[in-house]
Amino acid sequence: MNALLFLVPVALGLGVVFVILFLIAVHRGQFDDLDDPPERILHDD
Amino acid sequence: MTVRCAHCGTAVESDRDDGEVFCCAGCRVASELIRDAGAAEEYYARRAEYAPRPTAEAKGWESVEVERTPRGTSRARIQVDGLRCASCVWVTERVLGAVQGVELAEVSYASGRATLEWEPGRTDLSELAGRVSALGYRPRVLGESAPADRALLVRLGVATFAAMNLMLLSAALYAGWFGGMAPRFVALFEWTSLVLATPVALWAATPFYRGAWTGLRAGVLHMDLPIAIAVSVLYGHGVVSTVTGSGDPYFDSLGMLVALLLTGRVLEARGRERASGAARALAATLPSEARRLGVDGHTETVPVGVLVPGDRVAVGAGEEVPADGTVLAGGAAVRTSVLTGEADPEAVGEGDPVFAGTVVERGSLTLAVEAAGNATLVSEMAEELERATDRAPRTAGSDRLAPWFTGATLTVATATAWVWTALAGWNAALAPTIAVLVVACPCALALARPLGAAAGLGAAARRGLFIRSGDSLLDLAAVDLVVLDKTGTLTLGAPDVIAARDDTIRVASALERWSAHPVARAIVAEAIRRGIPLPDAQAVVETPGTGVTGRVDGATWRLEAGDSGEVRLGGPGSAAGTIRLGDRVRSDSRAAVETLRSIGMEVVLLTGDHPEVARRIAEEVGVNVAGARVRPDQKAEWIRDRIDEGRVVLFAGDGLNDGPALAAASVGVAMGTGAAGAVLAADGVVGVPSLRPLAAGLRAAGAARRTVGRSRIRSVIYNVVAVALAAVGWVNPLVAAVLMPASSLLVVAGAMSVERSVRADDSAATGGSAQAADAEPLGRAA
Repeated sequence: MNALLFLVPVALGLGVVFVILFLIAVHRGQFDDLDDPPERILHDD
Repeated sequence: MTVRCAHCGTAVESDRDDGEVFCCAGCRVASELIRDAGAAEEYYARRAEYAPRPTAEAKGWESVEVERTPRGTSRARIQVDGLRCASCVWVTERVLGAVQGVELAEVSYASGRATLEWEPGRTDLSELAGRVSALGYRPRVLGESAPADRALLVRLGVATFAAMNLMLLSAALYAGWFGGMAPRFVALFEWTSLVLATPVALWAATPFYRGAWTGLRAGVLHMDLPIAIAVSVLYGHGVVSTVTGSGDPYFDSLGMLVALLLTGRVLEARGRERASGAARALAATLPSEARRLGVDGHTETVPVGVLVPGDRVAVGAGEEVPADGTVLAGGAAVRTSVLTGEADPEAVGEGDPVFAGTVVERGSLTLAVEAAGNATLVSEMAEELERATDRAPRTAGSDRLAPWFTGATLTVATATAWVWTALAGWNAALAPTIAVLVVACPCALALARPLGAAAGLGAAARRGLFIRSGDSLLDLAAVDLVVLDKTGTLTLGAPDVIAARDDTIRVASALERWSAHPVARAIVAEAIRRGIPLPDAQAVVETPGTGVTGRVDGATWRLEAGDSGEVRLGGPGSAAGTIRLGDRVRSDSRAAVETLRSIGMEVVLLTGDHPEVARRIAEEVGVNVAGARVRPDQKAEWIRDRIDEGRVVLFAGDGLNDGPALAAASVGVAMGTGAAGAVLAADGVVGVPSLRPLAAGLRAAGAARRTVGRSRIRSVIYNVVAVALAAVGWVNPLVAAVLMPASSLLVVAGAMSVERSVRADDSAATGGSAQAADAEPLGRAA
């Protein structure tokens, strides 16, 4: 059971990594416009 | 020969070519003034640099919020109106991208928002906006640099992450409370929970603190206040019990509460953003350019923004009318569906008024501009729409409960503290007082509405009615008056051939084969439906507003408008005859109306069409006519009057012109087959070409509203019981571990019962009167 003392913080740390990735995605604007990108492929350029 | 005006460059006919030719007296005077001032050489050489760029200036571009990016560039978002298609977006992006110093130019077609990023110093926002307006689109200040919901989304992400992990840790702690757990693991789990709960309470929940504070300063007890109190008390209590190692911290309740409430906020913010696009969709129907006639009869292409009353503009077949005005010359068939919603084009001739946004289908017009830009009828409609969608948010039911709830909790807490202090001293009073505030956490109460509404939204959506927000859904439950538009709502919305002989159709379809006119399309479609091979036609001539002639099978035929709802084919053979056209009633409209009646709705028809046609259609589907030949703004007014009388009105329509009525109604529902603008202005959309989802949606809304009511009663009962227990000091971790999730689970279970109860109603309804009455096709007046 002593492994918990080590594993709980590790698991939490892993989770935080994904939260940070999510924050980066939000700041890059990936969630700003959920309507256009799927249509963009249809534009000719 | 043709020479250029020496001042303005307009081409003019003249036999002189000495640089002294002017197109008009005005240019001559201007040129003389410049020459008298001794500035002619300088002016004519360099005037392009001084020429005002069309419109973008003086619009307060400096007030736009400009963001600094980590790369050292500036970023801002502006709104671009008038984008009509993917190529508008393409052109705008290319032109902006080519400007020196621009790093990024991205334009969203759906929202009309442009995200611009540039190197400061090399260009600026007013220059970029100037480029956009030089293309003929209309840039305007948006007043925000990032979508409003970005910050909320970040809070939601952090809160959800923390809440999930807190649940996990708390489940272990609760299990340990029953089965025993080594103290150091309890400490580990509690301290980890504290680490997770801290950002949730101190940062993610700040919108609720802010809301509570704003409400307090305004003297209102907002629903945010009990939430803010609960969050801070839960957190404070959790910190104390973790640090002292006594008691249960209840961090899981804190995490779930904040995460679920933030989810609701994010969904709300997204809905609002979409609604604000509604007015833009209307404005986007205006053309961006006009062909203006000069005094000498030459035309020049100008942005619509520069048109002023008195200008003369030319409009050809297939073009949109750029401004309101009167026809000076020419004749045409004009489709006015943007204003009236009626599919039949209207014949206009000299002296008739025409309106911006309408489309010339056949023929051409010269018109004198009477109102341009924001003064046009269609712009006024857009403005009306914008005002209507900006209406103040409705007072949510839980907000009406909030003051009562907060007041009661604080009173009981104060009473508890006072009684315990009196009986046993303030030291003993602390624990039960905090327990009261903790168990009074309005989790279940705050969840009742969003969960019940979400279940109702799902149930309605599975039956073809997509409602945009939970508030609208709960409003839908109170509806007692259903107002229907005619064209496209009760009917199919496009002319259809009702009666004609095969040989007539054969010849007519040959003549109409290449025309985009709705009547032509109906005739060609009918030929295809009947399996008639389309013959070739030669020498086809379309005469504006009157008809088509051409040679088929060696004979000359003429197809022209006959009596109302008819076209007549004239020619030498037996094929000569008439084709009757009409707007068919949807085959299940009558059944849908009957179902609506059976659940207690009053159903009426409100249309822009002729009273006679309205009466016939109404008779066919079994509704009353509330009004015919009603203008869009009058529809909205009629609906507002009913609302003032205390009715709750559902309006269903399909046209862009229905926008004001859709926005004015308590709940506006657009037919998904209609114009995009109507969809944007509506609170909901019917996703299938039928009116049946309306009744199903109304039943789902009713079930959701009943569930929300029940959940609220349950959560109030829970709170009363729990607070009573806490006040007498009987709350321990066991009670809390059972009661807190139980109350939330009851709310969830209630929400899940919505679908079940709607399904029961469905079978009751179909067992009743819902046979589809196949409607007789009906002719319509022009």
